[in-house]
Amino acid sequence: MSAPPVGIVGGGNFGWGLAHAVERAGRQALLWSRRPQRAGTEHIDLVSGPAALAEAELIFFAVPSPYVASIARELGVHLDGGHFLVHISRGVVGDDLHGLTQVLRSETPCRRVGALAGPLVAEALITGAPSGGVVASRFPEVRAAVREAIGGSSVRLYSTDDVTGAEFASTAVGLFATAIGFAQGHGLGPAAQAMLATRAMAEAARIGVVLGGKHETFMGLAGFGDLMAAVAGDERPELAIGRAIAENQPFEQIGSIGGTYFEGLESAGRIAAYTRRVKLHAPVITLCAAAFAREIPAGEAVAALMSREVGEE
Amino acid sequence: MLPRPMRSFVHRLLSRPLRLPAILGPRPQPGDPQIFRFNGEREQIIAEVVRRTEQHFAADPKKLLYALNEAGHAEIRRLSAQGDAEADQALGSWRRLVKRLGKMSDEERADSLRAIARVMAEDIAGNFDPRVYKLATRLIPGVLTAVMNPMGLPNQLLAGGFAQLDALISAEGPLDKLRRLAQIGTLVLVPTHSSNLDSVALGYVLMRENLPPVVYGAGKNLFSNPLISFFMHNLGAYRVDRRVSAMLYKEALKTYSCLMIERGYHSLFFPGGTRSRSGTIERKLKLGLAGTAVEAFSRNQSRGLHRPVFFVPATLNYALVLEAETLIEDHLKGAGQARYIIDDDEFSRVDRVYAFLTKLVTLRSALVVRFGDAMDPFCNPVDDEGRSIAPSGKPVDPGSYVSRRGVPSVDPARDAGYTRELGDAIAREYQRETVIVWTQLVAHVLYRYLVFATPELDLFSRQRRRGEVAMPREQLVSEVAEARDRLLRAEAEGRVHVGPVLRSQSPERLVSEALSAWRDYHTKVVAREVGDDVLIEDPNLLLFYQNRLLPWAEELATEETLAAARSIVNQGGKA
Repeated sequence: MSAPPVGIVGGGNFGWGLAHAVERAGRQALLWSRRPQRAGTEHIDLVSGPAALAEAELIFFAVPSPYVASIARELGVHLDGGHFLVHISRGVVGDDLHGLTQVLRSETPCRRVGALAGPLVAEALITGAPSGGVVASRFPEVRAAVREAIGGSSVRLYSTDDVTGAEFASTAVGLFATAIGFAQGHGLGPAAQAMLATRAMAEAARIGVVLGGKHETFMGLAGFGDLMAAVAGDERPELAIGRAIAENQPFEQIGSIGGTYFEGLESAGRIAAYTRRVKLHAPVITLCAAAFAREIPAGEAVAALMSREVGEE
Repeated sequence: MLPRPMRSFVHRLLSRPLRLPAILGPRPQPGDPQIFRFNGEREQIIAEVVRRTEQHFAADPKKLLYALNEAGHAEIRRLSAQGDAEADQALGSWRRLVKRLGKMSDEERADSLRAIARVMAEDIAGNFDPRVYKLATRLIPGVLTAVMNPMGLPNQLLAGGFAQLDALISAEGPLDKLRRLAQIGTLVLVPTHSSNLDSVALGYVLMRENLPPVVYGAGKNLFSNPLISFFMHNLGAYRVDRRVSAMLYKEALKTYSCLMIERGYHSLFFPGGTRSRSGTIERKLKLGLAGTAVEAFSRNQSRGLHRPVFFVPATLNYALVLEAETLIEDHLKGAGQARYIIDDDEFSRVDRVYAFLTKLVTLRSALVVRFGDAMDPFCNPVDDEGRSIAPSGKPVDPGSYVSRRGVPSVDPARDAGYTRELGDAIAREYQRETVIVWTQLVAHVLYRYLVFATPELDLFSRQRRRGEVAMPREQLVSEVAEARDRLLRAEAEGRVHVGPVLRSQSPERLVSEALSAWRDYHTKVVAREVGDDVLIEDPNLLLFYQNRLLPWAEELATEETLAAARSIVNQGGKA
């Protein structure tokens, strides 16, 4: 039986990156986007509507997190329990910080869902430069299907069944990358940035474990690995956004750097509210939320971060 | 477990499937639930359990040897600790087996495994006699109590007539739909677990509401009472020996349960695994044997048999819990899992069961059984015709979930994924389908006052404050009224249910009845009236009853009581 095509929702850089990775793996990609921006290739078919994606078994969601629910609802009408859905978005929903796989589950009939996390970036997927990531799913066949669809010599994909941990780590890394950009904007050096990153990740791991994730996920590619790639300069927008916040640029201007600002702002607020509600100690995220929302002056946030009591590691 | 122990003739007769002569038995009619055909299929089922268990282990010689070694050593360890005459005999044969294993050929090992699996399967397999069922249908109100109290029916029941029992247990939920679904597919009931009476009470409710009987895996310790054993055997219960840890046994048990669902036997599982020690609603469910329903569905699909499986969450909401004193004590000791099998609780004491039932029969709606809406094994709701419904409102083929590219298959790793999701979905349903009963609300308000009055204490210090804190009765009544109003608002939003007594009685009456119900049943005084106050005597039992309200504690509180409510929530089910 020949392998079915791989569906991709979203015609942004990531959507195209996945399509090219699929092409490189020798499979046919079906890309659905309202604004595809580029022309298809021999192995990348641009489809005009969601119904055409039903032909695929595995479908990637490469759209910003605020759009996942509505697009999933529209696509879900054409799917059944045989489809696998995997998203690449950072973000949490609801008061209980559910990951986006939860959204995919509640908006579509699909249950075999998963998330791609870690330092995968669109550019590397497009050019075939070496990169890697983690595919998280409770279903081994979903993990295998993702590896078959885009994995290979240039994309090393590790897998985990800790979906909660991977999704939350991915969201947290987005925030922390912004926080590090913010720290850089204030002239903090490498040691201070490393301290911030380490304490922040420990905090994210504590929250992740309460949510049902595994501590080690935060120490792996989905957590530290991803954050290192961000700091090493993989050109993702979060660092620039952090620096823009430090420079007190207006909201609209920051938003224009990347939509991830508004997603990050919303996620940080939700996570901070959650940690208050369940009484979890989360000073870094609380400060991030306040600084992103401009509730406290940037200088004060930096001072607060650096003046925290020193304890056991 | 091996070989069969020597016991008295009577005990053996009663603890093994005791059947009436088959020649006199009625033939099952078309439309009868599958369980009416059980006796005709029993041998086939046992043979199939043995075949599949052997297939599971014997295909790989290493796995086969490991399974036998593991079973041998686990059983030797268990039986050595048991140290009675029954154990001694079995111990000898396990020791001989372990000694010979190394020299055996693969065929001989497979023979041994087959023999062991057969003994296990026979030990597990239940029995069903339609005559016993029909008899029970007529007599069940009495049977329910008689089973618990073989010395004689409680006088109150006889005097009051069986009608009392109808008022005693109320059933809520989409009963008509469940009756229809039972004709279309296989029901898998997954209720909360509070008491050893749960299965008996559920059995009664199913009969009364014209729902089909279910097969149920009962702890072997429950079979020690000959009369209970007789009814359990003949009403479809199978035996689960939780002392046996061998993976060979677990595989046989899972296979049995899977096979029953595959063959269309409606089944009952307590996915919480054990009775809730703290009184809280179960939040983390592993599903255990209930997970075999997903495999059963896959197996049927792979054979081209499209019989749906419907999971039906249910909550059992008792005004009084028979074993409350032992359970909460166990919980506070932190010994919950260590004492997984409690065999010295109130359930094993005739006098406590009698006291419980005599108190219970004076109450109205002492137990509210609430059935939730059915879902398929993939957490989709199902409509009245038994079709799985997608979020778009369109039907979705449940077979698609166990298929790849249109081809159904049996895949344990995939089904484990579905099972985990199902556990989460059922736990969410539990909360929504919980019915708060009056004793729980009165206990909550009293306990909240205790926390309010002792803000500086930790949980354990607080639980020792017996007879020290008194709440003005008038305040208790008014806080109960306020909390009930708030609970009714949560009910209107579809987040919880309010029991019939709690809804209809005056707060004054609720307080009096709660105090009297506790006083008449529990050996410890929970709270008592002293002048114009209610003195808190047993914080443990209050904690137990009020724990059911944890998810709503904060919204039931007023500004003055919010801090105490939060403190209760934070201490949660932890101890």
